[in-house]
Amino acid sequence: MSQAENIVIRLPNDIGGLAADRIQRTDHELAPWEKRCHALADVLDFRKIINTEEKRRGVEALGSEWVGKLNYYERWIVAFATILFQKGLLTPADLAIRMDEIQKRWRDEAVLAKRGD
Amino acid sequence: MASHEHNDDHDHPHHESHPHGVQEIEPGYYELMESAVRELLIERKMIGADEVRRQIEVLDSRTPALGSKVVAHAWTDPGFRKRLLANGRKACEELGISFYDDTQLIVLENTDKVHNLIVCTLCSCYPRPVLGLPPDWYKARSYRARAVVEPRAVLAEFGTQIPDDVEIRVSDSTAVVRYLVLPVRPAGTEGFSEEDLAKLVTRDAMIGVIPVQLHAGSAA
Repeated sequence: MSQAENIVIRLPNDIGGLAADRIQRTDHELAPWEKRCHALADVLDFRKIINTEEKRRGVEALGSEWVGKLNYYERWIVAFATILFQKGLLTPADLAIRMDEIQKRWRDEAVLAKRGD
Repeated sequence: MASHEHNDDHDHPHHESHPHGVQEIEPGYYELMESAVRELLIERKMIGADEVRRQIEVLDSRTPALGSKVVAHAWTDPGFRKRLLANGRKACEELGISFYDDTQLIVLENTDKVHNLIVCTLCSCYPRPVLGLPPDWYKARSYRARAVVEPRAVLAEFGTQIPDDVEIRVSDSTAVVRYLVLPVRPAGTEGFSEEDLAKLVTRDAMIGVIPVQLHAGSAA
């Protein structure tokens, strides 16, 4: 089968049956934000805002370069943001402004906490 | 933590909470994105203020110990075993294990003729209500790609040798259908209490990558 045909036949998530390396029994305890991201995914599903299959397709739609470079929960949160933009529930500007505000809030609190020590 | 490729599902170091409630390390880009999405959805009343925190509590309450209890109960109560194999979700609910999502559970029984293995080739679907969150290797490329074509080789990498006359069945999970393996009860456990049996049943045995072994657990 030609390389070009393979591209059409398999989307990035569809890896069942491909050759791959030996299994490495990796695991890690989730960072607090990763756990929040997982819980957020569940809540988005309960609230019928983004279901599990939409999330999976949203990750796939990031394309193989991003899928390769982002880790598991990074892919999820980027997929959620993109889907929320597509559904008109958030805009990229809303998100960018809020991210800057949260970063500023953290920096301000860190300065205060340092003074308090 | 083993080293790994970029595209394996490996994540960043943990952030410890600062005593003043400020975490020590500045939140990274994607962490900021998570906080921003959550705050905006709460403000717009699309999700409840406490919903994510409450769901974290639900996630924390789900560990493989629940699955072990289900398996041990199935080993000691033939009526329950039958109901479990007929409808996994209903039987788990009978034991007080709630399903917080819209998934069905199919329980696959291992015998001396059949060995079952579960995987999610497309992503990371897993019987979370009964086992908690999956280990990283379950979500990683190697396991997802290879389990469906060379399960014997994959099992061998977990130290599991399945005799040639035992059929291996691999079940590929979906967003709405999840699987749990009911392992073979090991010989020599005839006098064991249900509690002691449950201690023998590991997460990996319920995924199907290892058998339940008498010496592996802490039961007497």
